[in-house]
Amino acid sequence: MERAVLSHEPVSVEPLLELDAHPECGGLALFVGTVRDHHEGRSVRHLKYTAHEPLAAKVIRDVEAATREKYGVPYVRIVHRLGDLSIGDVAIVCVVRAPHRAEAFDACRYAVDAVKHGAPIWKEEFYTDGSSAFVEGCCIRDDLDDTPPSSHRHHSHTSHG
Amino acid sequence: MTSIVFELFASLESLAGARTCEIDAGEDIRTVGDALALLARERPTLASALERCACASGDTIVRRADPLPADGRIAVLPPVAGG
Repeated sequence: MERAVLSHEPVSVEPLLELDAHPECGGLALFVGTVRDHHEGRSVRHLKYTAHEPLAAKVIRDVEAATREKYGVPYVRIVHRLGDLSIGDVAIVCVVRAPHRAEAFDACRYAVDAVKHGAPIWKEEFYTDGSSAFVEGCCIRDDLDDTPPSSHRHHSHTSHG
Repeated sequence: MTSIVFELFASLESLAGARTCEIDAGEDIRTVGDALALLARERPTLASALERCACASGDTIVRRADPLPADGRIAVLPPVAGG
């Protein structure tokens, strides 16, 4: 059965580690993104993730495969949470198992960045003052002729956590 | 006369106040780009946001120059912010 990469329920990290498998691996890199209580100076009460689920799932699976290929690592596993999340809830988990730590760290960072920049997932923040907003993100159009492909078409993604 | 169904996500859904938007289209609407131009004309509140939107049909990205999907449905995807 194909493993889920999107989850409407809280995500458990431990089963994703596959500690009972991959005996050839001596490195495990784990990134867990959690919901932060502030964004660009505003106090966040909770947030909601929505997605174009068929495409988001495909993009995440492609990122898993591309990361395995690029870094030569046997196991890359990503799960992104959807729905209503509270402060501290797990938003994304990325696990990489690798023979050695260097490629585990590098592959994990690459995979998380690729999902954030490419998967059609949106974050709507609800602030303590009662207002809400969608976090400004990365344009995933690949046919914008007037923009060189190397330039950054997105805003301050590094601040999104 | 055929109609095109636009599926609106995130900030676009908020702007439109609806999850989908159905617009009657004439024979001159042949590409995804034609359809988006029609959407911009019929829903001016969305027009300025569309430039930075990608489009999808099913689980596949479609480009402005691609033909209109056979099922007449186009998902319109604003800039993304997962993670």
